[in-house]
Amino acid sequence: MSGIPSTQDLLTQACNNKIIPNQEYLLQGSILDSASDHLFQRLKGLCDNVESGPQLFNDHELCLSLRAPNQAQPLMLRVRRSLEVDAPYQLRYIGQPEFGDRTRPTLVRSSIDVGCTATVIEFLTELGCKIDYEYFSKGYMFRKGRMKITMSKILKVGKGDEALSQSQLVELSVLAPTGQDAIGEEMKAFAEQLKPLVQLEKIDYKRLGSTLP
Amino acid sequence: MSVNISIETPNENQIQEIAFDGTETYQPLPTLSESLTKCATRIDFSKSSLDDLKKEDKDGSPVDQFQPSLWPWDSVRNKLRDALTEVCVLSDVLSISREKKYLVLDPIQQEPPENKAMVQVYARKKALSQAASVLLTGAERLKASHVEQKNKTSSNFHIELLRLRQNWRLKKVSNGIIGDLSYRTAGSKFWHNGTFEVTKSEDDVETEEDSSSAPSTPTSTIPPTIKPTSAIKVNVPSELQGVAYIKVITQKDQGDLCTAKINLMGYGRNIAQQSGVWQRVLESAQNVLFCKELFNQLAREAIQLQAPIPHVVIGNQIRANLFPQIQLIISLVHTTSTDTAQTSSSNQDNDSVLEHSLHQLLREVHHKNSDHPFPQPASGPLGPSKKRMLAGPLAADRFELLEMTKSETILEQIIAQAQHTFMRKRTQYVLDTLAKDVRDPQIVSHWNAMNSPTMSCVKINIVTHGYETMHRTALLIHVKDRTLKCIGRDGRVMHLSYEPQELRDLILCQINQHQITSLLSLAKCLAWQVLSNSNHLGIGSVEPLGNASACLLSSPNGDRMIAVQLRSDTSLEARVFIAKSPRQDFFQIPLVPEKIWENLGGHFREVRFDKIEGKSFLMKMEYLMASLTSSSS
Amino acid sequence: MGVTILQPYLFQEGKGGITAIEYLTKRLISMGAKQAGSFIVDCETIVSLSSSMPQPPSNKAVHILHNSEFPASTFSILDTGAKHIPLVADNLFDLLMIKIGNVYTQKKQPSIESKGPRFEYGDFLIKLGSVTMNGNFKGILIEFEYRPCIVFLNCWELMRELIQGFLGISISSTYPQFFQQQTLISGHQSLKQNDSFQAIDTINQYLEHFINYRKQTTSIGGSTQITGLPLRS
Repeated sequence: MSGIPSTQDLLTQACNNKIIPNQEYLLQGSILDSASDHLFQRLKGLCDNVESGPQLFNDHELCLSLRAPNQAQPLMLRVRRSLEVDAPYQLRYIGQPEFGDRTRPTLVRSSIDVGCTATVIEFLTELGCKIDYEYFSKGYMFRKGRMKITMSKILKVGKGDEALSQSQLVELSVLAPTGQDAIGEEMKAFAEQLKPLVQLEKIDYKRLGSTLP
Repeated sequence: MSVNISIETPNENQIQEIAFDGTETYQPLPTLSESLTKCATRIDFSKSSLDDLKKEDKDGSPVDQFQPSLWPWDSVRNKLRDALTEVCVLSDVLSISREKKYLVLDPIQQEPPENKAMVQVYARKKALSQAASVLLTGAERLKASHVEQKNKTSSNFHIELLRLRQNWRLKKVSNGIIGDLSYRTAGSKFWHNGTFEVTKSEDDVETEEDSSSAPSTPTSTIPPTIKPTSAIKVNVPSELQGVAYIKVITQKDQGDLCTAKINLMGYGRNIAQQSGVWQRVLESAQNVLFCKELFNQLAREAIQLQAPIPHVVIGNQIRANLFPQIQLIISLVHTTSTDTAQTSSSNQDNDSVLEHSLHQLLREVHHKNSDHPFPQPASGPLGPSKKRMLAGPLAADRFELLEMTKSETILEQIIAQAQHTFMRKRTQYVLDTLAKDVRDPQIVSHWNAMNSPTMSCVKINIVTHGYETMHRTALLIHVKDRTLKCIGRDGRVMHLSYEPQELRDLILCQINQHQITSLLSLAKCLAWQVLSNSNHLGIGSVEPLGNASACLLSSPNGDRMIAVQLRSDTSLEARVFIAKSPRQDFFQIPLVPEKIWENLGGHFREVRFDKIEGKSFLMKMEYLMASLTSSSS
Repeated sequence: MGVTILQPYLFQEGKGGITAIEYLTKRLISMGAKQAGSFIVDCETIVSLSSSMPQPPSNKAVHILHNSEFPASTFSILDTGAKHIPLVADNLFDLLMIKIGNVYTQKKQPSIESKGPRFEYGDFLIKLGSVTMNGNFKGILIEFEYRPCIVFLNCWELMRELIQGFLGISISSTYPQFFQQQTLISGHQSLKQNDSFQAIDTINQYLEHFINYRKQTTSIGGSTQITGLPLRS
């Protein structure tokens, strides 16, 4: 009768074996629109060959927060959907970024990616989540081994194609199970090759926030 | 836009360590401060224009006499201090001289130069002629070098290197140039790194032989016979030298049925003419590498696969059973000397299909290794296939998920393809011999031009010559890897095994049915009545396969009857009986008193069917029916 | 995947659940069905009790279900009281739910599950599930699935015949409640019975029965707390 383990058991087992990729290693930077073509060509040369050429993407991202009455830090959730292809919506939890000391090459944050049906937005809003902000992200993605590189333009929602700034966001990321810190060095080496076009760094949003206002 | 160019950073770093698997650990680039320190220590500040001044100072002051500097900036500091002292003294002197009390600065009178016009003209003339001669000799040298370059472009090392670079991956490692002919960038995961070394070849063959004997790695020198003027020499590892190909043989009881060979030589653009000898050497080395990887993969799979009859791997040979008594033999042939390879490759004929498939299968594996789909939306993880990404939200069931994990190995696929090739040939043979043997209804088979490596399709039409519009029996056969699937006209599906006899029997049954059905429609045309018909006559002698079929026809006014029995074995023998009513031999007896019973028809008498005129069964039957009808009216 | 109907099995009070399952198994095997593994459907429910939420205080329940027939998916249904919002997601949603659960003031309800053997009978898939709540046996739910068809209307008679024949009871030819509801598909109203059947429909049927089982317990236990709202009115 008990031939099938319950899903809960499987999940705890998977967590213990560290096979769930729940850590995101991230480096970020930006490049001016005028120089972005140089970066595009360099990435095209450096990254793995893909027969179909660089992959275009056009996504819509919603950021939601769930505020608990007795907790200061709200739970942040992101829902992302592709405007180009008919793909499942993606619900994403991103934890607090860890910077570590200077020796650590990349920012590390916990991340849970869940593909789901389109009902997710209604589900979350009814659950009590509030939509904080939303934007369109449009650009190209590249792959080099396990690394994913995206360069994208952030566009405002509801105002046609009005861009948020005159530059493009460049992200280098790897999603890996816990405890694979070696990937950080690999990313650092790759980021080094994109210099001086773009400087990919660990970016601390909190510090950005404190200096701006 | 369509050409993908890979960029790699040149390896300027020093190699720190080479591991046993060939990976090289580089020393990290020095940081900015380190390199600055290094540079700073190199600068000799004493070699400036103020050399003399300093020397005088140093002679006077014993500052530099203490022990050698402990830190890198020591000498710089000392020199800066000296400079400061000098500047201080200078400023003191200047301030004293401004007071004009103790010191007065007077300009020194200079003698005015003499103006001699003629001397100037001569001097200028001389200078101009010197400049002109410099320019002229320069131009002469440029012209000479230009002509020289034009004359011997082929032997120029750098131009050759440029061409080599256009076709092969090269990188500079410290002082040498290392090339890469592996398929790694295309997705291969083979252990061999496939590197070769590029060196400048000496003009003299003898000196080259001497120099190449020195290096520790075994190298192949270009054979001196085909050594025109090439400035580049490529050294290929010994295990990649020579010519290799993969031979596929389908064997039945030790007799070869078909052979296939994989040899990539001659594939791709023909660039051998414009590029040097190295092109041919590298192409064959790459071919050897490909064949080795393919065989390695096949051998590994052969051992891992759990086949009912286990696959055998001996040396450079893999044996797999296709069908009982039929074997597939895949072997790797690798010869280092060029002449033996040529003789062995010419004596057997090629099956281009299997050759191409094996090639394609490994490429497909490579492609799968290198090509992963991008996630949509872009924040998703890299790696899972598109199907797997959909599986969660679309609630894929157990079965679908299980299907996703399945994948066929190259060996399984090539065995399936070989089996299919064999099945196709066998089916062709059965159909052709049947069409040759059976004359009466004609068997026409149409093979579909479009087919997959493991599935092809044949449509069979059975018609009688001259009666094509009367009836046509159609049959569709799907030839798969181990089985046949036959779809009748009525939609009935029959699965047959690989035994050829089964197909033969099926076609014979179909012919039998065709004869009866077309006889029925012929009878309708001639206004004869069908009294009964049966495809499976339960009476009569036992048939070797199936049952005989039969039908009973009666003439338009009902006075004659024809009974036909068709056997379904190879002879397709037809027996025809006729009966006549009113029967002539009717006598009133007490048991059957009335006259009306004479219309019941009499005994059937067999017709000597083979004596009836007509080419086919239907023609004979038409003749028979026509004659019986006319006689009664 | 085909159309699934969930049928509670009423057995005599005296008999235990195990003997009933054994009896049904024997019946199935004598019919010619073949056992093909086992299955499990489980359900966890989190109920928010907080009145300090910014929304008007209401008891919202999140039901999280898993079905071993769809091993890659987690089904969750948010019951707001007014409507049900289904969500089908990857398995990792469970991990995320732990995070959400921490924020959400919650009261866990007893987990309930139905598990047992799974039989293949031609095109039919029959699953005998014994329902347990916190380890206590509650009843038997039998799942009938007709795999070649995805529209309920087209195969109801066939399935009815099978269920009648197998359980030896008579079932009225009117459609079960679940298939009579109105659904809104891409802007137009239609009846459930005409729609193509989806995995979430199976889950909804399970949830409906699970909630009924829970209600029985709480009413017997005399608890004043209404824990699960009825799924369909």
